[in-house]
Amino acid sequence: MASEPNVEVAPAPAGSPWRLAGRRLRRNRVALAFLGLFVLIVAFCLIAPLWASDVAHTGPNKTHTLEKIEAGGETREVVNREGKPIGPQWFEAGGRFFLGADGRLGRDEMVRLMYGGRTSLLVGFAAALIMTVLGTILGLLAGYYRGWADTLIARSMDVIWAFPVTLLAIALGLALAVGGLRIGPLHVSGDSIWIPVLVIGFVFVPYMVRPIRGEVLSLREKEFVEAAEAQGAGPLRVMFGELLPNMLSTIIVFFTLNVANAMLLEALLSFLGVGVQPPNTSWGTMMSSGFDLLTSAPLLTLLPGAMVLLTVLAVNVFGDGLRDALDPKSKVRLEAHSGLSAAETLEGIAP
Amino acid sequence: MKKLGLVPLVLVVVAGCALGLSACGGSSGKEGGTLTGTYASFPTYLDPTLSYEVEGWTAMYDTYLPLLTYAHANGADGSKVVPGLAESMPKITNGGKTYTLTLRKGLKYSDGTPVKASDFAASIERIFKLNSAGSGFYEGIVGAEKFAETKSGGIPGIKTNDKSGKIEIDLVAPRGTFNNELALLYAAVLPADTPTKNLTTDPPPATGPYMITKVEPGRGWSYARNPYWAKANGPAIDTVPDGHVDKIEIKVVRNDSTQVNEIERDKADWMQTPISSDLYNKVKDKYEGTQFRVERPINLYMFWINTTQPPFDDLKVRQAVNYAVDTAALERIYAGSLAATHQILPEGMPGHEAFDLYPHNMAKAKELIAEANPSDRNVTVWTDNESPNDEAGAYYEGVLNELGFNAKLKTISGDNYYTVIGNESTPDLDTGWLAFYQDYPHPNDFFQLLFSGESISPTSNTNFSRIDDPKLNAKIAKLAQEPLGPEQEAEYAALDKAYMEQAPIVPYGTNTVSTFVDSEIDLDKVIFNPTFGQDLTSFQFK
Repeated sequence: MASEPNVEVAPAPAGSPWRLAGRRLRRNRVALAFLGLFVLIVAFCLIAPLWASDVAHTGPNKTHTLEKIEAGGETREVVNREGKPIGPQWFEAGGRFFLGADGRLGRDEMVRLMYGGRTSLLVGFAAALIMTVLGTILGLLAGYYRGWADTLIARSMDVIWAFPVTLLAIALGLALAVGGLRIGPLHVSGDSIWIPVLVIGFVFVPYMVRPIRGEVLSLREKEFVEAAEAQGAGPLRVMFGELLPNMLSTIIVFFTLNVANAMLLEALLSFLGVGVQPPNTSWGTMMSSGFDLLTSAPLLTLLPGAMVLLTVLAVNVFGDGLRDALDPKSKVRLEAHSGLSAAETLEGIAP
Repeated sequence: MKKLGLVPLVLVVVAGCALGLSACGGSSGKEGGTLTGTYASFPTYLDPTLSYEVEGWTAMYDTYLPLLTYAHANGADGSKVVPGLAESMPKITNGGKTYTLTLRKGLKYSDGTPVKASDFAASIERIFKLNSAGSGFYEGIVGAEKFAETKSGGIPGIKTNDKSGKIEIDLVAPRGTFNNELALLYAAVLPADTPTKNLTTDPPPATGPYMITKVEPGRGWSYARNPYWAKANGPAIDTVPDGHVDKIEIKVVRNDSTQVNEIERDKADWMQTPISSDLYNKVKDKYEGTQFRVERPINLYMFWINTTQPPFDDLKVRQAVNYAVDTAALERIYAGSLAATHQILPEGMPGHEAFDLYPHNMAKAKELIAEANPSDRNVTVWTDNESPNDEAGAYYEGVLNELGFNAKLKTISGDNYYTVIGNESTPDLDTGWLAFYQDYPHPNDFFQLLFSGESISPTSNTNFSRIDDPKLNAKIAKLAQEPLGPEQEAEYAALDKAYMEQAPIVPYGTNTVSTFVDSEIDLDKVIFNPTFGQDLTSFQFK
């Protein structure tokens, strides 16, 4: 009886690629820490109505110019005769004006910071979703069909790309903030929050289309596409049933980075007065209104600025971690350049 | 005897020295020197025919003189029209339709050429040839409207005689504001051969005490004394001061914080730019009385109310809004730079008589709203995006909501705010913020543009309340034809009350500006003319 050859087979990695990615992500403490920070920021914004009604007892747009509050055993004016707003009261006034008043209108800064964050996050996510969906569809069409479709889409993107993204966004924001947007029966008023969402989503589309198109061009030459076509799959099924699932990790990583870019651009546009329009508030509009009091009340500009910074940093670092987890080969390539060991990272990549 | 004789002599010498010292050091100050001033932006025009902003008018008030001019004085005295290049105030005949003036003798431009009566006609023609913003003020001259179209053939309503210096101006209809309009910078007399183009970079020769010597567009400009002022014009014109400094250097410094800093570090002597609200109180607290002074130009900040559509077509609703707006809150929003008022004619304007028909009373306001019970409570509040006007709009929105309306704030760019709210096709023109700055200190300027039915137009409308009261329109038209005197001023004061009873606007204040100078400048002597701003001839080093 011949004995079986004593061959040591490396244990196959357990679970699906998504589970492996999850495991790699869990090991990335920095990415997880920033994910935690992002969750905290989102939670901070989500509890805005609770804080406003139960603690601050005011709304984000309620003015208190001539009001006085009892704080620390004394009566304090919310806005003094020279127009200077009250500073942070922490819990001295029972949570009212926790971070002080926002300016000469005497609105509660903490309440506005929370509500402003909701707007900034909404604009960031909605714009990122628009650019990701549009960019993916156009990239798929251009890369799969090539030929005239590719030429048409690529040249159209080149036209948008020819303008500096910030200037294009400012020009569109300015034009649409005045007249609104009217396409057939669809009418979006100039002060609607959807104007900055659409503007930001539109100007960033080429930045999404180009890499997706490149990846589709590469993937469509693979055997699994050939096999699908041989089995009679039509273009739509190949694009959305075969190519799209294989690009999902790339798209997810891009989406997180798009959120960060969209939030930054929203802050810039709103700071310049062509993004989110009053009475809506965002961290960008808060920076803009606080800027008038930069020397006497710098917190009014610094606080929303810090919130933008932390959110974008959190999203970016987590996005990087997600990329490393979903596409470890990219990290191997980076680490090979930097001379670091890739053994740990390669776990689970082997077929 | 000798000793006794010396005592009175010594006393006389001591007394003489004391008097001399007090005369020299105490009140007269130093003559000469170079004044360094800063502007936040370069004026759109340094050409008197074209300039329409206070920045340009401040720059050219002492450089280009019209036949009449505004007195070089502070406050209400500075609103008086006095003879400039003309010998005296015009003789008005022919039922108020003919103005006759005579040029002072021996006047010269800064290049040495004599000033002629025919130069005035050419200067008025230049206004129309260049389509100046001031054209409208002179269209009442016979033949001016036709000249505005053809730009040739002269204006028959202006007759001049170079030999006698006589100038006769015929108007189509009597115009009570014409003296004020003749004293505007648009009508400054320039040589007849002055090129018909924007001369900002190469300003024409001057008639005033100073002349512009060098212009660096966007960066600054310089003045020197007009050499023919001391020789010819100065002795002839007693209404315009000679000035104290010999040279003036103006540089553009964009940031007002840097401008304040330059004055504090003795790098500049004066800043033309009003100090922003963030710095205003800091500078005021530190320097008021010594280097800082609050000035009151003639303007009115208000909320307009569209009287033609619900809910503001109801007088009770408009009166309620007037009671509800609290000027004390708006004073804080404007960080102390607003002087509260609740009437149309601001302080300093002829005809101003203080009153307040609607002292703040929210309970009364709510009572009036309950009585009116408007069915339409959805209102749009318009404002521009410039701080603190946007905040004033937000405050007003809050007040309307407190009154039970469903107010929605609409904030648009300050660049096209007046175009948008002045266009009748713009939807939801219910109410909004407005600032009105005088063209010249005559009450008709306010009433004609803001309230006359004639001013209602589909585009470029200036009667934002769209109030069209035939009786009050007739009153405005009648007063517009009469030269301003004590009787007319009293009638304008009554008109102020009559309009406020209709409550077409909610006036809330006059925006003040500031004069901030270096410690070397004698602040007490600096004149702020309500129309032209700081008077460059009044700056003097201590």
